[in-house]
Amino acid sequence: MRSTTNYIFLAVLLLGGSCKKYLDVTPDNVGTLDYAFRNRNEAENYLFTCYSTLQSLNDVSANAGFTTSSEIIYPNDLQQHPLNEAGFNIIRGLQTAGSPGLNFWDGGGGGQPLFQAIRKCNIMLENIDKPADLGSVEKKRWVAETKFLKAYYHYYLFRMYGPIAIVDKNLPINATAAEVRVKRQPVDTVVNYIVRLLDEAIADLPPSIVNQARDLGRITKFIAMSVKAEVLTTAASPLFNGNPDYAGYKDKYGTVLFPAAADAQKWKLAADACKAAITECEAQGLKLYTYAPPANITSLTDSLKKVLTIQNAVTERWELNSELIWALTSIFHGQEYCIPRMTSQAVANSGSNPAYFAVPISTAELFYTDKGVPINEDNTWGYNHRYDLQTGDDASFFYVKSGYTTIKAHFNREARFYANIGFDGGMWFGNGSLDQYNMRYVQARGQSALAGPKDIQKRNITGYWPKKLANYLTVFDNGFQWIDYRMPIMRLAGLYLLYAETLNEVGGPTPEVYTYIDKVRTRAGLQGVQAAWSSYSTNPSKPNTKDGLRQIIHQERRIELCFEAQSGWDLRRWKELQAVLSVPLQGWSIYDDQAINYYRPQTVVAPVFGLRDYLFPIQSYDIIVNDNLVQNPYW
Amino acid sequence: MNKKIKQTGTLLPVLILRLFTLVFLLIIGGKVFSQETPSTGAKVTVTGVITDSAGRKIDGASITPEGKKKTGTTSDAFGRFIIDVPSGTRLIISYVGFSEQSIVATAERKEFTIVMKILEIKPAEEVVVTAYGKKQRKEAIVGSVTSIKPEDLKIPASNLTNALAGQAAGIIAYQSSGQPGQDNASFFIRGVTTFGYKRDPLILIDNVELSTNDLARLQVDDIASFSILKDASATALYGARGANGVILVSTKEGKMGKAKINFRLENSSSQSAKTLQLTDPITYMNLYNEATLTRDPTQPLPFNPDRITNVQATINNAPGSNKYVYPAVDWLGMLFKNRTSTQRGDVSVSGGGGVARYYVAGSYNVDNGILRRDAANNNNNNVKFENYQLRSNVNISLTKSTELVVRLSGNFSEYNGPLTADGGFSTDLYSMATHASPVLFPAYYPADSANLKTQHILFGSVAGNNFNADKDYVAYSNYNNPYALLLRGHKNSSESRMSAQLELNQNFSSLVDGLSFHGIFNTNRYSYFQSNSGYRPFYYNVGSYDKKTNAYTVNWLNQVPNSATEYLEYTPGATNINTFIYLQGSLDYAKRFGDHFISSTAIVTRQQTVYANATSLVNSLPYRNLGLAGRATYSFKSRYFLEFNFGYNGSERFSAAHRYGFFPTIGASYVLSEESFWDPLRTVLTRAKIRASHGLVGNDAIGSQRFFYLSDVNLNNGGSTSASFGTNGGYSRNGVRINNYPNEDVTWETSKQTNLALELTVLKNLNIVAEIYKNHRYNILQARTYIPSTSGQEATIYANLGAADSKGIDLSADYKQTFHNGLWLSGRGNLTLATNKYAYVEEPKYAESWRYFTGQKINRGYGYIAERLFVDDAEAQSSPTQIFSTNGAAPKGGDIKYRDLNHDGKIDVLDLTFMGFPSVPELVYGFGLSAGFKNFDLSAFFQGQARVSFFIDPTRVSPFVPSPDWWVTGNTQVLKAFADDHWSENNQNLYALYPRLGTTNSNISNNIQQSSWWLRSGSFMRLKSMEVGYTLPRSLLKRMKIDNCRFYFNGLNLITWSAFKLWDPELGGNGFAYPIQKVFNVGVNVNL
Repeated sequence: MRSTTNYIFLAVLLLGGSCKKYLDVTPDNVGTLDYAFRNRNEAENYLFTCYSTLQSLNDVSANAGFTTSSEIIYPNDLQQHPLNEAGFNIIRGLQTAGSPGLNFWDGGGGGQPLFQAIRKCNIMLENIDKPADLGSVEKKRWVAETKFLKAYYHYYLFRMYGPIAIVDKNLPINATAAEVRVKRQPVDTVVNYIVRLLDEAIADLPPSIVNQARDLGRITKFIAMSVKAEVLTTAASPLFNGNPDYAGYKDKYGTVLFPAAADAQKWKLAADACKAAITECEAQGLKLYTYAPPANITSLTDSLKKVLTIQNAVTERWELNSELIWALTSIFHGQEYCIPRMTSQAVANSGSNPAYFAVPISTAELFYTDKGVPINEDNTWGYNHRYDLQTGDDASFFYVKSGYTTIKAHFNREARFYANIGFDGGMWFGNGSLDQYNMRYVQARGQSALAGPKDIQKRNITGYWPKKLANYLTVFDNGFQWIDYRMPIMRLAGLYLLYAETLNEVGGPTPEVYTYIDKVRTRAGLQGVQAAWSSYSTNPSKPNTKDGLRQIIHQERRIELCFEAQSGWDLRRWKELQAVLSVPLQGWSIYDDQAINYYRPQTVVAPVFGLRDYLFPIQSYDIIVNDNLVQNPYW
Repeated sequence: MNKKIKQTGTLLPVLILRLFTLVFLLIIGGKVFSQETPSTGAKVTVTGVITDSAGRKIDGASITPEGKKKTGTTSDAFGRFIIDVPSGTRLIISYVGFSEQSIVATAERKEFTIVMKILEIKPAEEVVVTAYGKKQRKEAIVGSVTSIKPEDLKIPASNLTNALAGQAAGIIAYQSSGQPGQDNASFFIRGVTTFGYKRDPLILIDNVELSTNDLARLQVDDIASFSILKDASATALYGARGANGVILVSTKEGKMGKAKINFRLENSSSQSAKTLQLTDPITYMNLYNEATLTRDPTQPLPFNPDRITNVQATINNAPGSNKYVYPAVDWLGMLFKNRTSTQRGDVSVSGGGGVARYYVAGSYNVDNGILRRDAANNNNNNVKFENYQLRSNVNISLTKSTELVVRLSGNFSEYNGPLTADGGFSTDLYSMATHASPVLFPAYYPADSANLKTQHILFGSVAGNNFNADKDYVAYSNYNNPYALLLRGHKNSSESRMSAQLELNQNFSSLVDGLSFHGIFNTNRYSYFQSNSGYRPFYYNVGSYDKKTNAYTVNWLNQVPNSATEYLEYTPGATNINTFIYLQGSLDYAKRFGDHFISSTAIVTRQQTVYANATSLVNSLPYRNLGLAGRATYSFKSRYFLEFNFGYNGSERFSAAHRYGFFPTIGASYVLSEESFWDPLRTVLTRAKIRASHGLVGNDAIGSQRFFYLSDVNLNNGGSTSASFGTNGGYSRNGVRINNYPNEDVTWETSKQTNLALELTVLKNLNIVAEIYKNHRYNILQARTYIPSTSGQEATIYANLGAADSKGIDLSADYKQTFHNGLWLSGRGNLTLATNKYAYVEEPKYAESWRYFTGQKINRGYGYIAERLFVDDAEAQSSPTQIFSTNGAAPKGGDIKYRDLNHDGKIDVLDLTFMGFPSVPELVYGFGLSAGFKNFDLSAFFQGQARVSFFIDPTRVSPFVPSPDWWVTGNTQVLKAFADDHWSENNQNLYALYPRLGTTNSNISNNIQQSSWWLRSGSFMRLKSMEVGYTLPRSLLKRMKIDNCRFYFNGLNLITWSAFKLWDPELGGNGFAYPIQKVFNVGVNVNL
């Protein structure tokens, strides 16, 4: 009996005698941030973390330069929503401060959380000395890359919001409410900070990528210099340089956030930076791209070569594209949004190709005539009869389907028109047919046409397709076979035009300005600016004035970089976007199958773009949380 | 990285080993003292027969000499006993359920016939099961404990939780789906008392913490007691885990006596309690046309008059009509039967003798789904949900003072059903059927001439743009063909929980009078796995049709390689395995000193759960709790009661500094009716008692983060943090993601609770309990709101900031009256009113007073205030702008007009405000009446809820627009009520049921906002159950050698009264979900 009792007491002790360690279940090596910098390999992983946000910026549907450029319209009445439509809908007047589309300040509405990306860069810089096995050369390069990224994220925010908060050092997690309520910094302070960071990075970045198979896409000196050129050009541009619309705009403490007066010196700084970037790029072997047919294409006429040169300057693989300064590693997703149905198999498989991206008539009309001047200035072209019907013939054999009736506006245009735009009756080299005498072409009129609207989900609402964004080898027929490419952020052609622009702003028309525009025009198969205008323009002296030449450069840049997510930004910094979006965006009457009815412009979007839309709204919640922030003007 | 993971759990196997050694020793020890010699004296041999008042022999009654509990005997199967005792010994005869009797045996009187009288239990002597399974006399209860009679939970459904609503004062319960196996009710004790992470109560079955699913599967016939612990005093022993209340269930144990067999068989037929009224295909097409043109008159007509005529011909089955070219499909009818059957059976055997008593039960339930079968298909895809259970509770008296209890149970479920996307049984098929257009394509085509040799079914569809066709397992087109998805494959799952529990009860009265020990060891193992197999359906559409010959050809739509297959593909499904170990030891001391009675308890517990399929290192670490709890009570003359409790608990989730929490409570009660001054009142108020308690209880389930004091960093995250470089992006690294920052300061959520109660017995037969309570919950974990995004933190930072207040009333009453002619009547009713509010929420400084959560009721919905519909486009344009989301279009006439609360000329988040009642009902009630006469009995139970609101979910019920659920694609069907009453150019009713139609989410984005337009009252009352029973007459039973046999017919959810008519209001906002079922059931219950 007694022994039984003893056993029970023992059991009680065992049960109840709580081992002190019972609740200490976490082992010592649970991963914390310290482990991210234990050695070189881990630190490299963190460097890639810093890059990751940058690579996410490849999504053009979240890029205001793409979605608000008026170049592409995305229908907003689809039943399914494969893309985030927030960016495309900003020009419909749907932007709100309550819940902003493309919110890169917080991350949301398609936007990336860029302040988080900046915090990651700061973590990298704070900890970079920890890995013992990280050599000094490599460390220097990584620090330079991280600084570049930190500068670029600040620049991306600056481009959208103007005066932003600068986060040079991370605040601790337990920072007080007062500490975390940061203020917006004046535009000049922001630009100076970005440029200073870029200069620090440029000093230590490698001139080129040695191991392309492994490192292509990492930042080089010429990339950083080109970005610096763009940053300074943006800062010199009218939106930020003495913009009277923002005059006297202050924060709560009276700090003036935008420079009061335009400073011409900023253009000089920008021009110098462009020149330096061009010099560095050319020193590294970059040059304008020209298409050379592969062995399996035996005969190719010059006019098609020109078209392919222009298409491929964008869609060629990076390592084979001699003019590509910078692209993101992630591929461009969305060729299926750009290619019309050209075969009956494609119609049967229309599910795999929604072809939503619609180009408005105004963008198609931006391209020059084959004489190299705007269609409304060409004294040979017949602007007022451009909607008259015309049938394809031998002269236009490689551009318009022979015997197919379309309109005059589709004839006698520059090669860039045919490279950029897919249109009713337009020829399409590639897409599975590499025989120039047996090319596919677009038939877009009415529901029964191959490329015509099939239902709400499968239609192109204007009748124009952004052909340039599809690699010519991409096939949409029985299924969809992609040939991937990366959307350029900067091409040498763009840098040339940036240089021409800044030079013209500094000193007006000079031979050097013409030289750099003409490099781009020559590659497109056009005469030089002066020659073209003097021979064919109704305004032959236009290139001789600073204002006239500015217009020419702006249009040239919009044409050359069409659909590349550039003009949305350019038009903002030029303060021209409001004018561009003040006219209705139109397409053809897509449900009509007779040419005479089809070619009647229909308004697809009546854009709403006010003065306030030049800068993005800061989400109103952020201003409640941090009352040191002020909302952007007019929001 | 070279340190090993600490082995902190190694002590456990040693412990278990020792425990078993202990048991072994006890068994040996037990033999020793059963042979103790009796006291000396002149012996007599006493014999006797024990019967009940009806003359039936009692088997297993115990006969013990007074004061010598360790000796004695029991009666045999014929009620006979024989015992040798010294002359003059008083023998106590006892048997469970009967009053004790005593006889004095002398040499003269040594043969007895003893007739036992059935024990009449007075309310004050009722036993209530309280924390840790302690049985307490009801009279001595100080805390708030409600017991539900298990038989009240017996409803004709396979889910116990569905019976909870309205059964006990203090439970707020509601059921929002009727899908078999997925139809657990949501339930809260005294409503929702926090806005933190875990809001539902702790569930303990035989003292072991288990899940809602385990409770749901429990067989009512196996339940011995069902208690709900509501206030601080009752739950205090659970310390850090009891703040949301505790549900305590114990299973039956064997009783001494011959084997008793109880079996029950039920067969039910269930059907939707309320069916959705959808409009006909012709109206569907006309409205689709209307919806398209009313938004954009330039759009081509989706259904031209010719098409509508042809579909009408199909419906009329007119000569020359073609139901494949012009289909009119009743998807719901195609997929679902009107009713289905369910069978349930359980059997239990219990009995035993002095040494061991046993209760062994088994049950089998089979729930059949309501899906149809198709002859063309060899997969049987109808839902079949089978559940088997085996339970064995064995009590072994090792010695007179030592009892060992072994509880073994296994719960096994097998499921077979169609391959569905949402992991559910058939809800998603129901959603698909209600979101599929009736006229776009038929379910399938008979093989046309080109397809005569085709082996597969030619399912109908329309070419879609799902460009992930080769990857996506579920949808291949813009439009789901629900029939194809029903037939294409099946999903099997198997679930089991095996539980082994050993309990040891030791009475130490030999050492210290009144001291006893109780120990529990439990382990259970849970496993779940699932497998899926299916083919990818071939979709076709009509290619050409010749009206003259009525011949058509079909085109194969999904020709992309691998998007259609004839063979089954196998995909392994989710697996879930975990193990649980629980140890409990308690010492009890109870002793009466004259009028004074004291008792005390000390309990030590520890438990551990380990998950096999953890997704990260920290989640693979054991989940542990350690607790020490104590209770001390004092009572005087069974009139004044005082009680003190505490729980001292540790959770591994907090930093060492905050790991343990101390939760004390105090309670007292006073039985007024024991006082002499009560005497004049006693004829009316038979009994009266007041009680009160106050104290703290905690909650450690406050967030999803595993360890609050550690950062959670994924050093190999992938996805959004990865980057790649190289010519083909060939060199990539996964990157680092910070999921959580470390926070040493996070600690328990605590509830300060006060409870006051009055118990009354009126005129002997009417018992009333009324309680009021007030809870203040604080330290609710909440996100810090002052940190702006410019700080760039990847994870939200949390702190114990929030507070919530709740208060309410629980009322219950029961009444029973038996009349001389054998008629008996009983009634019972209860009511729970639970209200709550956010007492403190860290919020930014909103300019608009109506946006603050602080002060609002928890779970109250918010939205825009809808004024009416816009009169016309001009009014819509001149009103404050209402553009929602960046995908939205501007409203037109007939769209909902919202109120601009802050008068800033636009409707946006600043105009959102709180409205209606909370989505969890504040008031739940139930009342029932039963009556019996001779062999018949009849009962009815009504249940209802009030002070509850819900929003009709316009994103799921709006006609034509696709559902937001990714797996449901297609065009939503039209509710008849919407077809009959919506705004249109011809019916410009500004208060129509449904606003202006549209066919896409973007053009009706204005109308699908949460707003008062869609707000409805969720109040209802239903005849929850009704039962008629007939017990076979005793004379007949006797001949059949059956103790009892009862046949019954009952029904569930029979009639519902509600102001809301579109669907069953208990479903809430989404009427297009699997409806709540109405059940008719016949059953038989036999006791042998």
